[in-house]
Amino acid sequence: MNLSRLLHVARTEWRHQVRRPLFWVLLALLVFVTWGVSSGSVTIESGSSEVGGKKAWVTSGFAVAQTVLLLTFLLFTFFVSVGAGMAVISDDEARVQPLLHTTPLTPAEYVWGKFLGVLGAYGMALAAMMGLLIFFHHVVPSGAAAEFRGPFVLGHYVRAAVWFGVPLMVFMAGAAFGVGERTRRAVPVYFLPVGLLFLCAFFLWSWSPGGLDPRVNRFLMAVDPGGFRWLTETWTKVDRGVDFYNTQPVGLDALFVVSRFALMGLGLGAVAWSERHFRRVLHGDVAVKRSGRDRVEPPPEQVALSHAEAPLSALGMGVKPPGFWAGLWTVTWAEARGLLSQPGLYLFLPLLLFQMVSQAATATGPFDTELLLVPGRFAVRSMNQASVLVCLLLMFYVVESLEREQACGFAPIHDATPVRTLSVLLGKALANSLVAVVLLSAMALAGTLVQVSQGTVPLSLTPYLLVWGLLLMPTFLLWTGFILAARSVTGGRFGTYALALGALALTGFAAVRGDLTWVTNWPLWDAVRWTDLGVFQMERAALVLNRVAALGLAVFFTALAVRWDGRRARDSVTTLEALKPSGWGRGAWRLAPYLAVPLVALVALGVRVGQGYQGAAAKLRAKQYWQKNLATWKDAPQPALVDVDLDVDLEPEASAFHTRGTYTLVNRRATPLSRFALTGGDAWKDVRWTVEGQDAAPEDRAGLYVFTPSPPLSPGATLKVGFEFHGHVPDGVSREGGGLKEFILPSGVVLTSFEPTFAPVVGYQEERGVDPKENRYEPRVYPDDFYVGPTEAGWGTATPFTTRIRLSAPEAYTLNSVGVRDSDTVKDGRRTTVWRSDHPVSLFNIIAGKWDRVDGEGTVVFHHPAHGYNVREMSRGLDGARRYYSEWFHPYPWAELKLSEFAGLDNYAQGFPTDITFSESIGFLTLTSPEVNAVLLVTAHEAAHQWWGNLLIPGKGPGGDVLSEGMSHYSALKLIEQLDGPEARRQAARGMETRYAKDRRVDGEQPLVKLDGSREGDTVVFYEKGGWTFWMLEDLMGRPAMHAGLQAFLKRYMNDADHPVLQDFLAVMRPFAPDAAAFDAFTRQAFFEVVVPEYRVTEARVTKEGAGWVTTATVTNVGTGRMPVEVAVMKGERPAPPPTATETAPAAAFHEARVRVEPLAGEGARVTVRSDFAPERLVVDPDVRVLQLRREQALAPLGTP
Amino acid sequence: MLSLRNLVKVYPGPVTALRGVDLEVPRGMFGLLGPNGAGKSTLMKILSGLLEPTSGEVTLDGLDLVRHPEALRPHLGYLPQEFGFYPYLSGQDMLRYLLELKGVTAPQGLKALCAQLLERVNLTFAAKRKVKEYSGGMRQRLGIAQALAGNPRLIIVDEPTAGLDPEERQRFYRLLAEIAHERTVLLSTHIVEDVAMLCPRFAVIRHGRVVAITSPSEAKAALHDALYEGTVPPADMAGFQQAHRVTQAVLFEGRNRVRIHAPAGVPVPPGFERTPPTLEDAYLLLMKDAPGPSAQAPVVGA
Repeated sequence: MNLSRLLHVARTEWRHQVRRPLFWVLLALLVFVTWGVSSGSVTIESGSSEVGGKKAWVTSGFAVAQTVLLLTFLLFTFFVSVGAGMAVISDDEARVQPLLHTTPLTPAEYVWGKFLGVLGAYGMALAAMMGLLIFFHHVVPSGAAAEFRGPFVLGHYVRAAVWFGVPLMVFMAGAAFGVGERTRRAVPVYFLPVGLLFLCAFFLWSWSPGGLDPRVNRFLMAVDPGGFRWLTETWTKVDRGVDFYNTQPVGLDALFVVSRFALMGLGLGAVAWSERHFRRVLHGDVAVKRSGRDRVEPPPEQVALSHAEAPLSALGMGVKPPGFWAGLWTVTWAEARGLLSQPGLYLFLPLLLFQMVSQAATATGPFDTELLLVPGRFAVRSMNQASVLVCLLLMFYVVESLEREQACGFAPIHDATPVRTLSVLLGKALANSLVAVVLLSAMALAGTLVQVSQGTVPLSLTPYLLVWGLLLMPTFLLWTGFILAARSVTGGRFGTYALALGALALTGFAAVRGDLTWVTNWPLWDAVRWTDLGVFQMERAALVLNRVAALGLAVFFTALAVRWDGRRARDSVTTLEALKPSGWGRGAWRLAPYLAVPLVALVALGVRVGQGYQGAAAKLRAKQYWQKNLATWKDAPQPALVDVDLDVDLEPEASAFHTRGTYTLVNRRATPLSRFALTGGDAWKDVRWTVEGQDAAPEDRAGLYVFTPSPPLSPGATLKVGFEFHGHVPDGVSREGGGLKEFILPSGVVLTSFEPTFAPVVGYQEERGVDPKENRYEPRVYPDDFYVGPTEAGWGTATPFTTRIRLSAPEAYTLNSVGVRDSDTVKDGRRTTVWRSDHPVSLFNIIAGKWDRVDGEGTVVFHHPAHGYNVREMSRGLDGARRYYSEWFHPYPWAELKLSEFAGLDNYAQGFPTDITFSESIGFLTLTSPEVNAVLLVTAHEAAHQWWGNLLIPGKGPGGDVLSEGMSHYSALKLIEQLDGPEARRQAARGMETRYAKDRRVDGEQPLVKLDGSREGDTVVFYEKGGWTFWMLEDLMGRPAMHAGLQAFLKRYMNDADHPVLQDFLAVMRPFAPDAAAFDAFTRQAFFEVVVPEYRVTEARVTKEGAGWVTTATVTNVGTGRMPVEVAVMKGERPAPPPTATETAPAAAFHEARVRVEPLAGEGARVTVRSDFAPERLVVDPDVRVLQLRREQALAPLGTP
Repeated sequence: MLSLRNLVKVYPGPVTALRGVDLEVPRGMFGLLGPNGAGKSTLMKILSGLLEPTSGEVTLDGLDLVRHPEALRPHLGYLPQEFGFYPYLSGQDMLRYLLELKGVTAPQGLKALCAQLLERVNLTFAAKRKVKEYSGGMRQRLGIAQALAGNPRLIIVDEPTAGLDPEERQRFYRLLAEIAHERTVLLSTHIVEDVAMLCPRFAVIRHGRVVAITSPSEAKAALHDALYEGTVPPADMAGFQQAHRVTQAVLFEGRNRVRIHAPAGVPVPPGFERTPPTLEDAYLLLMKDAPGPSAQAPVVGA
């Protein structure tokens, strides 16, 4: 190999690469994106979100590594692949190779020179990216992001580039180069980054179920070319604290180092492979599939010499220029044959199928519960992926299809034919839309396969047709039109790629920033929700206008493409001529009609969004509410509800309601109440108020209605406030689509008393008018003894109240609310149902739907007729909850316990008194596995809120919500064990522990008594750690003592104006603890500190002693805290519980022996376990009784002595 | 009648490819002769509607082809200088596809017509082979077949005989000659022999200008009795060229065989004998006499 020639080729290629628009668009994107990430929005998920709290620096080694790997992956892979993959193909199309290779240039010099040239160009771009990161982070840092910025450490950037950027780039460049050289076709080259993006973003980076075998996990880490899985699984998945991330470099391990070298080796190997292939092609050892000329001449065949000698006119030829449709069909057919002759599609399909099957099979809902695959939900959930994937593939296919005539030299003949340009462009687009059809069919097939394997939900293709056909096809048409126009305007493939990738990147950037609205969200990312209860009922007007705009823009872009294309060669001179004001004006005028439809649709959409409930006007009104009332009314004393009387007429078809009602309020304070306030809904119309039956005109302070009773309301005195109004829920169009918590829709109705949607809320609403970016205030700081004396209720009013709620709606609906049903009548096609509280409640709601019902023992489940899959199990859970919670905690005071399903426009469940509401994806569509009864878990949790959240309303302040959510989780664990046995409880507890470890934020985590929900990571602590802690408390106190304590606790605080927090709870429980010292020691750690043990087993050894075995090991607590924990040696598998009580478990060869240790934090405890069997493994905490981190490492296999 | 009026094409650079071409192309065969880079292909592309001129007019029987290139396409048969086909289609499928794009009709149907056209260009044996397996000559013949399809009113053929063997070349000549009397056939070439054999009239183009419009017989007649041939030693060649109008000089067995133009009154060097003129002599003399790229006005006529 001649170094001089090699460098000459490399230099030439490098110059070519850096002069392309593709390269400059990449640089422009890098400037834009690096500037964006310097704001602090892209960093490690660690630290505290509160003002002054520790923040994870964007400049730390971990953050820089993450940023570099993501940017390299998301941007460079596409650009490098196009640059490297097309290097040989471009020369092939330019037909320079015959000349080049008659010179002394060798194949090795050519191939490696080209590769090095590409690598050099994009290496320079990588260096530019690192420089830009340093520049924006340290030289001109964003002032707003000061707390996210650490000191400049050059090593962070160098290491990130070396270990994350360079290997991926070398791999992609080499692989694309190899594929391009081998196939000499552009499309397979483009499949590489698309396939990789798909594989990584939607599988390797996201799929990590709790029980994943560590060996599989390490394998997946090793094969992830981005290194993201390794970084998250090794370092960031379980939060190590912001100090660690901010100060420590990213520690590399052998697996990662080897995988990086292997990655580069693969890339370089691909180049070496292509060099060998190239040499063989040149020597004629192999044929190459090329799209152009200069073929290897086949052996001549016998030439027929019997040509007809009749004149040409004898053939009777005529010409009738093809019409639009004939031309369209001709072009489409020829293009389709071209498409099907390419291998890319066939290569990609299995990958897609595998990916979609695995994704469909591993979908999870709340509490990480697996879900049944419902076609519509699957179709909507995969819309984002499908749109990105298909848009990328369409881009590559359409552009290469448009380039095909040019590439194979057919353009002069083709362009001189009378076929219409529109037929040509649309024919190509139509043929290539086969890609979309094939991919979507594969996705539907994947979903269907999973459905068949689950064997529960009936098969149906209609949802796929509705979602992908109606919603996604306009996106693809728009995108294809845009590609046609971009190709016409730029005149070449690389300019088109640059424009199109830029457009996609900008859309993605806007999506990440939350800037997409119905007007700009052309791919409909995250805008749509599916429910089996009613298709596209939510925001249908916005959806229709958005899709009309997309179709209109597709037509406009196609017209622009036809107008601009003209099939005439263009150069800068003709372009400048065309861009003269006169030409420009003429062109714009001719295109204007095509712009009319999308423009009208977008303007109409913009107006609706602006006037909608999240629009600027609504936001301003909410801000005014906040501005006018915060100082005066946030902590102002308010009366309490003693009775609610409501008449609510519902019109689901119109999303409308009409409310008339009365609140009876009482002054429970010791002093007279001269003023009080009720918050009304923003969209209520014709609001009328009465006080004691007389018309009243309270002061309207931007939605806060202030009443001034005369005389002031004396202590203990009551007052009736009447009201009447009507409105819509939702009131107009949202800003960007997505979820909807409360609604009145034909599919059903969900309204709650948390928000003033259908009834006023007593007092001021703290969250109304608060924008996280503009006026969010810091959470209140409570003194340590804030709970001493009466504590306000966490929600609702101070004490429970009575209700009478009359509902009316079309007779097809069942109308549910709190309490017992007084009456249910139908007249003139309308149903009227009256609900009355048979025991006081603290909250109320309305839920309506067209349901079937399943009755249990004092319980009812109302469900959509097609969603009966889990209803029996839910009913069992409700029955069990009602029975056992009544035994354990307090007798259930109401007559009935209902659970009603609502459309899954948001994923939540709420336990209102007697009236639990479940979104369809919670419970109803949960997939229960033999290991985890997820249906029972969610049902038991929500049912427990009847006690922990309704009978007992926790106090407002830190630790209060733990008594609601943590107690409900604890109750669920108990019920699972009660109904399904200890192993089921162990599995559920493991799941909770895994979620806690994954989602906690070490630095921001507060002790349970300080937990107020204001910090990131608080939620998982409320639920998972809270539930675990109460369970461990029971383990410590013993079941009878715990139950006695809980009963006493409920008795003390139910119906009391003083609402408890954790300190109150512990004060009640302590006397019931058999060992007060142990109780104090445990509760101090569990409630007042943040400690979590983490056990490691080392030096595990087994020796034979006489007839028995002695196992020794060191169990070290590398975490925090000190908990007594059991250590067991085991042989065989623990027998599964018998399927039914009447069956006996099969005899299993299971043996175990245990000891108990209590290692201090950071210290090891030597354990010795004697057994009469040869142990196979040593397990710390075999019964899952101690909450800990990284449980999978707290065991050791034992070899035979 | 194809008319070109003051046709100008300026490429970025700027490079002026056509400097005001005026040409009337009558029905029948018409040659466009010129050296490489003279602007022939640019002119062909403009005529076939693939390139927009910077200025000027092109009309075919009164139809403005600059403003309405699409109006010409149904009536155009075009064989460009360089072209290819979809490699994944067979010859007959490719031709069928093109016939459909052109809207060609035939009473016997397109399938039969394809077969007949392929037979005309001697490609029947390879009709079902993928185009990517065709040799250069076979592709050229397929190109010819598509250019002839549909009885076009105007046929533009740019260097059509490149890559054809002598037999096929003759066959193509016959085909062109056969169809030329019904329509306008514009043959662009730098092979003088092609023009001599086929074109009753031709134009010579150089540096973007038409430098002559004539017929082969007129061009040759202009040199009648004025062309001489002899030999010149290589050492004397430079001085000889200064003194005489050399049309051709070929080194043969160590001496230059030289043809010179010496009209009446111009002394003929010793040893040179009168020889009948060829069209090539006329063409080469025209090239010598043609104005350079900076000249302002074209020289028309011979």
